[in-house]
Amino acid sequence: MTAATRGTTGTAGEPLISVRGLTKSYGTVEVLRGVDFDVAPSEVVCVIGPSGSGKSTMLKCINLLDAPTGGEISVSGVTLTDPKVDVDAVRARIGMVFQHFNLFPHKSVRANVTLALRHVRRLGRAEADALADEQLDRLGLAHLAEQRPANLSGGQQQRVAIARALAMRPEVMLFDEATSALDPELVKGVLAVMRDLASSGMTMLVVTHEIGFAREVADRVLFMDGGVIAEQGPAREVLERPRTERLRAFLSQVL
Amino acid sequence: MGDFLHTFFDVHEMWSVLPELLGEGLRNTLLIAALAIVFGLAFGMLLAVLLLSKRRLVRLPARIYVDVFRGLPAIVTVSLVGLGLPAAHLRPFGRSPLGYAVLAVGLISAAYCAEIFRSGIQSVPPGQVQAGRSLGLSYLKTMRLVVVPQGIRNVLPALTGQFIVDVKESSLVYLLGLAVGQRELYFIAQEHQAASYNSSSLVAAGLCYLVITIPLTYLVNWLDRRMRTGRPRVAAPAPAVPAGEKTEVSA
Repeated sequence: MTAATRGTTGTAGEPLISVRGLTKSYGTVEVLRGVDFDVAPSEVVCVIGPSGSGKSTMLKCINLLDAPTGGEISVSGVTLTDPKVDVDAVRARIGMVFQHFNLFPHKSVRANVTLALRHVRRLGRAEADALADEQLDRLGLAHLAEQRPANLSGGQQQRVAIARALAMRPEVMLFDEATSALDPELVKGVLAVMRDLASSGMTMLVVTHEIGFAREVADRVLFMDGGVIAEQGPAREVLERPRTERLRAFLSQVL
Repeated sequence: MGDFLHTFFDVHEMWSVLPELLGEGLRNTLLIAALAIVFGLAFGMLLAVLLLSKRRLVRLPARIYVDVFRGLPAIVTVSLVGLGLPAAHLRPFGRSPLGYAVLAVGLISAAYCAEIFRSGIQSVPPGQVQAGRSLGLSYLKTMRLVVVPQGIRNVLPALTGQFIVDVKESSLVYLLGLAVGQRELYFIAQEHQAASYNSSSLVAAGLCYLVITIPLTYLVNWLDRRMRTGRPRVAAPAPAVPAGEKTEVSA
């Protein structure tokens, strides 16, 4: 499915996500001070860095959940920062998974997955239910379809959140510290889903503290510090032979 | 002691007023209150959305409206609407005082409902909006499908309080003068009291109000519980332990 979706958008070699000169300030506080990078189709890019380095803000700027102060963001050829662009339409093609899951507590697991299918893609109830059940089944969640999120473990909730995003058939998935709020024993299951997703060819931008996951799954790693990308490159290179003192210090703290 | 019982709990007096209270009064009280509540909820929701606008020029009129109508005594608003409008030859409801009563109580209720809804909407975590928007839902759809349903649930107890106030304020229609057939609970009781110098009819009317307001509280509490736990379809919660953490993906 991802390959097919991708075939219709962008030509080979063109980045799926392109970020140029991205800045973000809250009042006088500069959170992002000029961020540039690309993500190629099917590429998995992990973003690491100390808290407060701006990585989550950067991720939320990509689908404009946080409005950038300056710079340009393009996703599959559409410039989101252009005020004439229908941002909702572009967001529907960008899946996002949050640290705190953000499932809709007043809706069943199935209804969480079908909400956007019905009200954004305008599918009928039967069709949306079928797609949702199929997606839930893939993630081993079919038996929970009738449950409310509150009855689920954190790991189950996060996998439902991933199913909710995937059901929209996104071209790219953004993960915002998807495992940071989970109990340690539940982290593995969510990371396994993400790993399978990566090997299925999904384009992924993953903000994470899981250095092991980054080393194993990422094609590239960005190290953010102080609102800029302080170091980047192939995952093994960056994580095993850090060039900057800041990254060396960071890695020695988290490993 | 006999005087006390006779003044407030004269069974004869109560019995004689009861047919009018139940036949005419209860119906008109419920009519005024129900319509005022519906008006207040709808207009209050609109005001709440305006109050939450990012634009000052949109917020300001709503803010002024809410402050004015929450600040005025209900009796003043009812008089201004029910006596003032017809005197100024603005007669949207003709000569029926009930319509003006509904409007007046509804206008007041809307101001309170607006603040209740606003606090309810603000009580929903921002992550919910982010999740909705990230899926491609528009702002309005995110509000309608995600935020408002949760927000209302959070303020149901406050809304119940407002409904009770609306039921009670419907009695202020007595200021406008009511013909037979239009009379609500208080008006009927007060007529009897004036004729007999006996307050038992007022006590009977009071009991009628309680018959409305107390079940209302429990009705909303029941609704609240039902909404919180979901419809009792498959009530058994799943085991919290993931079943073998099956994590095969072929997205």
